[in-house]
Amino acid sequence: MAGLLNTAARPDTASLLQAAARVVSYAAVRLFLAVFLAATASLAMEAREKRNWGTLSGSLESNSIYYMHDAGLDPSSSVNPDDRFGTNNYLKLDYMNGRFSAGLQMEGFLPALQGYDYLVYGNGRKVILGSKYVSWQDDMYGFRVGDIFEQYGNGLIFRSYEDRALGFNNSLEGVHGRFDWKGVHLSAMFGRPRLYLEYAESMVRGADLCLSLSEMTGWDAASLSIEGSYVNRYENLMENELFADLLTTNSLDMYSARANFDWKGLSAKFEYAGKSKDLPDAASREMLTGNAILAELGYSYRRFSVLGTFRRLVNMNTMISLNAAGTGNTLNYLPALTRQHTYMLASLNPYQVNANGEIGGQADVYYSLRSKTTRSKYWNFHVNFSTYYTDASHTGGRSNLLWRDINADVERQWNKRWKTAVLVSIQEWSPSHGMQESTYASNIFVVDNTCKITDKMSVRLELQYLYSANYEKDWMAGLLEFNMAPHWSVTISDMYNHGSSGKHYYNASVSYTRKSTRIQLGYGRVRAGYICSGGVCRWTPAYTGANLTITSSF
Amino acid sequence: MKLIAAFASMVLTAGMIWAQDLPDVSVENMDGETVSIRDVVRGKPAVISFWGVTCKPCITELNALNEVMEEWLEDVDFDIIAVSVDDSRFSSRARSMAQGYDWQFKCVFDKNQDLKRAMNVSLTPQTFIVDASGNIVYSHSGYTPGSEYELYDKLMEISE
Repeated sequence: MAGLLNTAARPDTASLLQAAARVVSYAAVRLFLAVFLAATASLAMEAREKRNWGTLSGSLESNSIYYMHDAGLDPSSSVNPDDRFGTNNYLKLDYMNGRFSAGLQMEGFLPALQGYDYLVYGNGRKVILGSKYVSWQDDMYGFRVGDIFEQYGNGLIFRSYEDRALGFNNSLEGVHGRFDWKGVHLSAMFGRPRLYLEYAESMVRGADLCLSLSEMTGWDAASLSIEGSYVNRYENLMENELFADLLTTNSLDMYSARANFDWKGLSAKFEYAGKSKDLPDAASREMLTGNAILAELGYSYRRFSVLGTFRRLVNMNTMISLNAAGTGNTLNYLPALTRQHTYMLASLNPYQVNANGEIGGQADVYYSLRSKTTRSKYWNFHVNFSTYYTDASHTGGRSNLLWRDINADVERQWNKRWKTAVLVSIQEWSPSHGMQESTYASNIFVVDNTCKITDKMSVRLELQYLYSANYEKDWMAGLLEFNMAPHWSVTISDMYNHGSSGKHYYNASVSYTRKSTRIQLGYGRVRAGYICSGGVCRWTPAYTGANLTITSSF
Repeated sequence: MKLIAAFASMVLTAGMIWAQDLPDVSVENMDGETVSIRDVVRGKPAVISFWGVTCKPCITELNALNEVMEEWLEDVDFDIIAVSVDDSRFSSRARSMAQGYDWQFKCVFDKNQDLKRAMNVSLTPQTFIVDASGNIVYSHSGYTPGSEYELYDKLMEISE
């Protein structure tokens, strides 16, 4: 991974193990190709005899932006690249025949869009074979060779996944096997993780065991399982001059123990995770042990449900490679456990998880009130509360507030034609990410109305206001959307910061959908800030430009 | 380039047809049991809708389907299956949301997104219709109010 943060040359005395790991990885790719071609050719011949051709499916996604010069944006936080163009593209193909499947994904960054780590760490302009696999899955066992997507428990110690909105893919190139038998689920994996557009020098291996006690004992009234996982990351850096004084071992060991219980409407989950000494982030100068606790309790009865979650994290950020940096350099999954907002002003300042020292939790309550005579009239209620503090050992012996919010939203379907949603969100957040006690507060109010003019023609209007005495102060926003189902949708919106900067962030777009193909063309100004997906965020610079998005599956 | 050529030749050699069958992929049902998606949809036409807790149009579509389901069942026998693509960290919230919104249809959980990848869903909501034999006969990306009537037309067409 040349081109990452630390670019010092590696010593010539690389260990035999690391060399072997490279050979194994290279061999794995060759093995994949050999198995892939042999298996598909064999199946093709068999298919001809049996007239069972198998199926091919695929998808295409293309996101392109033409960046324009905008004198109204702050040059220090905005981008205006020389070649004005960025495009991220993905083509995925899968072949499936019974229990056999194989596939690949081509990715093209020509160059990568601004704000994606690919641009910084992946050289920006590249076409790569992003992933490939051959898989055989039976009821009792399964194997997969190629790129592996897997999650152990809640992801506290390991999750390999792809999120294109974040430009994230940490799939493991290697081998995965599983075995299931009467309530026993065992899986194991080995490989090297993808790091941006390359593969890391580290090797990762792990195993997961799940025992469904209720299934093993024939206890049908409830569901009870105990689970455990182990993950090891090996990266030979002790002889690297940059790490010689920092590392006491090349190996990181992580483990997790879990229990899940479901009985009627009651559900409970518990997970404890621990990790051996590790550098928690790229700037760390000391190896530290880490641990995490996650507990969840839920209850539901008819149209009422309540869910509470508690989580404590201490030094749990785990990098794929100690010799790299950025959002994509993450081996485990520690999302922000707060409400993920979709309204513009409510998501202006989302919470960033503090993986190396955070304690807190959240609660959700849902309730639905229905008309007895018609399903076209109902109320949906949702209240969410979350609060997170720093771990006192990281902030001078005092636990400071990181984030607190309370959100209440009500959705009212008045009749078949008209629906109204109202959201109130009170957010308090630390601008220093908990290093200091002072906090900012934002109070957001949203009214969202959808009116169906005919069965297939509708108008949606969002009006939003953010009141704050801090930071950028007051905002207002509006969105108007006109839909002609199922094909056309036209949207215009504007966010206006009338409290301090006086800037407008406008956007207009039109989309056309035909079956599973969607094309969207838009033009607008984007504010610098965090874009979040699934509780994980990446920072995007401000820009003004025209964007074209095409998604299709076949 | 060799890889692309190898894959293309494999495609041509096998003489494939585009995907028509529902893949044999395991998901978790509301009781936490692992089941094949083929077993979930077996026997009658089904609308399969992929959704996530942070996807607003997905929830709007499922609320709309929940609203019209009873009415449509008077004309055509079918199932609705909502497939949550939330990982195990957010699937509890998805479960809670489904119960709180009083969704009257089946909900399954694709925690590792295996089904999402196998059915090549890159944008949610994506909605499929499969016939009683498990063949995929229709799919649609995104949701705009009123799109659900296209599902109704297709269900009526395959039930004739």
